[in-house]
Amino acid sequence: MSQPVAEAKAAVNINDDYCSRCTICSSLCPYDAITQDRENKKMVLDIEKCQVCGICYSACPAKAIETVYYSTDSVLKYLEKIRPQYKSDTLVIMCEGSAPDFNEVGKLFGVKDFIPLSVPCVGRISEEVLLGVMVDGVKKINILACDEDYCRFRRGSPLAGRRVIALNRMLEQLGYGKEAITLKRNSLKVTVDKDLCIACGTCVAYCPYHAPKLESVGGISFDLEACRGCGLCVALCPAFALDLDNWERERILALIPRLLKEMKPPKILVFRCQWSVYPPLNGGMSPNIRTIDLPCAGRVEALYVLEALQNGADGVMVVACSEEDCKQEGVSARAEHVVARIKEKLEQIGLGDRLEFASVSPRYPGQVEEKIREFRDKIAAAGAEKGKSQ
Amino acid sequence: MIVTTLKPLDEILDSISPYRRILIAGCDGCTQPPRGLREAKTLKQLLELAGQLRGKKFEFKVTSVVKQCDSVLTVSALKPYIEDDVEAVLSLACGAGPQTVAEFFPDIPVIPAQNSHFVGREDREGGIIDDSCAACGDCILALTGGICPVTRCSKGLLNGACGGARHGKCELDPNRDCAWELIYARLKRLGKLELLKRFTPPKDYSLKGWRVTP
Repeated sequence: MSQPVAEAKAAVNINDDYCSRCTICSSLCPYDAITQDRENKKMVLDIEKCQVCGICYSACPAKAIETVYYSTDSVLKYLEKIRPQYKSDTLVIMCEGSAPDFNEVGKLFGVKDFIPLSVPCVGRISEEVLLGVMVDGVKKINILACDEDYCRFRRGSPLAGRRVIALNRMLEQLGYGKEAITLKRNSLKVTVDKDLCIACGTCVAYCPYHAPKLESVGGISFDLEACRGCGLCVALCPAFALDLDNWERERILALIPRLLKEMKPPKILVFRCQWSVYPPLNGGMSPNIRTIDLPCAGRVEALYVLEALQNGADGVMVVACSEEDCKQEGVSARAEHVVARIKEKLEQIGLGDRLEFASVSPRYPGQVEEKIREFRDKIAAAGAEKGKSQ
Repeated sequence: MIVTTLKPLDEILDSISPYRRILIAGCDGCTQPPRGLREAKTLKQLLELAGQLRGKKFEFKVTSVVKQCDSVLTVSALKPYIEDDVEAVLSLACGAGPQTVAEFFPDIPVIPAQNSHFVGREDREGGIIDDSCAACGDCILALTGGICPVTRCSKGLLNGACGGARHGKCELDPNRDCAWELIYARLKRLGKLELLKRFTPPKDYSLKGWRVTP
């Protein structure tokens, strides 16, 4: 906080002019990033601890917290803009953590057409947004949250649940029926193909949640209650016996050539942990860059990188959280190791420069774009150099 | 397990360069993590990429064998591929695997993709793998607190420390714990220091053998 430059760049900020010192933000922050100064009673945000979950923003009664991501105004404006594209007055707000596939989400709520809004944690969506869209004519709101103990921000999903109960009570009094807003919970977990399992125990060794068990009789089994869906075991399984709900290997492998086809050189394919970068609601896309979200960088495997290179990617970048920011028990450090190992092998065949690992945080908006641009320029320069020498 | 590492890709490319249709055969056996289907597929993609850069086109097939050191399992797993007009087999197993392939498919060249180092253990947290068993054929771990001096003492001493250790580290390699200091500490902990008084005669390496009946 002592560096005004860093403060200006940060994604979350407390505007002391509006702050009423109620301390709700500090009591809700899952990361103890907001404290009250003992002397002057001001609320102080330690941006290095902040994970940009948006819980404080959604709960501040005085609107003293400012954020560059998914602010109430920007969400309402965005929904107003996209609404004509959908023949529906049902809005589905879903957490990216439990809902990468819109079709599956529709099935969960029994709706075919809906206006989708995907955000990192539904806990960041305030009452104001929910009531605002109803004022704007949305008839039904469905919210898909993660199971409470699956919430990457610990308190986001429980908070969304309480918010919906309170709002439904009010809306019922206004004549909107018993359940104007429906909240469901979902978690995406590992799936096992026992026929493919070779009982090597790799998943047992690496799972940070101790979900897999390997017995000499009965083979592999997973405690799905314990699984938090990071996908590390899926990425490491030597026999392709594991997969992850909604993040299936085949789905991602199919996406790689499709995206590369629509890109212009130098083609940079980015695999990113969905918690390391929050995509803007109205993001324009550079023709050079496409992104594939992953539940955690731990889900990156050599297969994806090599498949991308084989399908014409000029560069592949893996974007992860730092180990300290990792929402999955430091799995991102393991991902960095996996990427380094692939890079070592690519170096041996002269392609080492085409793969890059970057750790970023959404707390610094623009950080990831800058890193991707730098990488793209490096790849472009190397390509031009090679063109000259030939 | 047998600890192996992937050979330099240039060496592999050099070895497979006379062939076009190649079977990459993984092994689900003892190496950890196993050099199974995933490793085989990754190697395929790497070699294809390298081939593209060098103007060489390969046609790879990939499979994995439960244990390549087992002839029955290896023959049944590889036979369909070999009958399907494969020109060479690239094996991801330890040294035992390629030799099984060579013996049972005498008309097909086999190329090892791994260098085999030793029988080791792996601490997956730190990734430490060390030489743990020399397969000497005459195990004395019962006398040495479960710590093997044949592999873990630089000098392979059988009857106590040489006296050269400094702060618990070997005089020949300061990164290496003195095996005999570890053995002493462990036996002390177990209350079995009297085992140190038992004399172990020089090893009879004929017991190691080259063919045994289990």
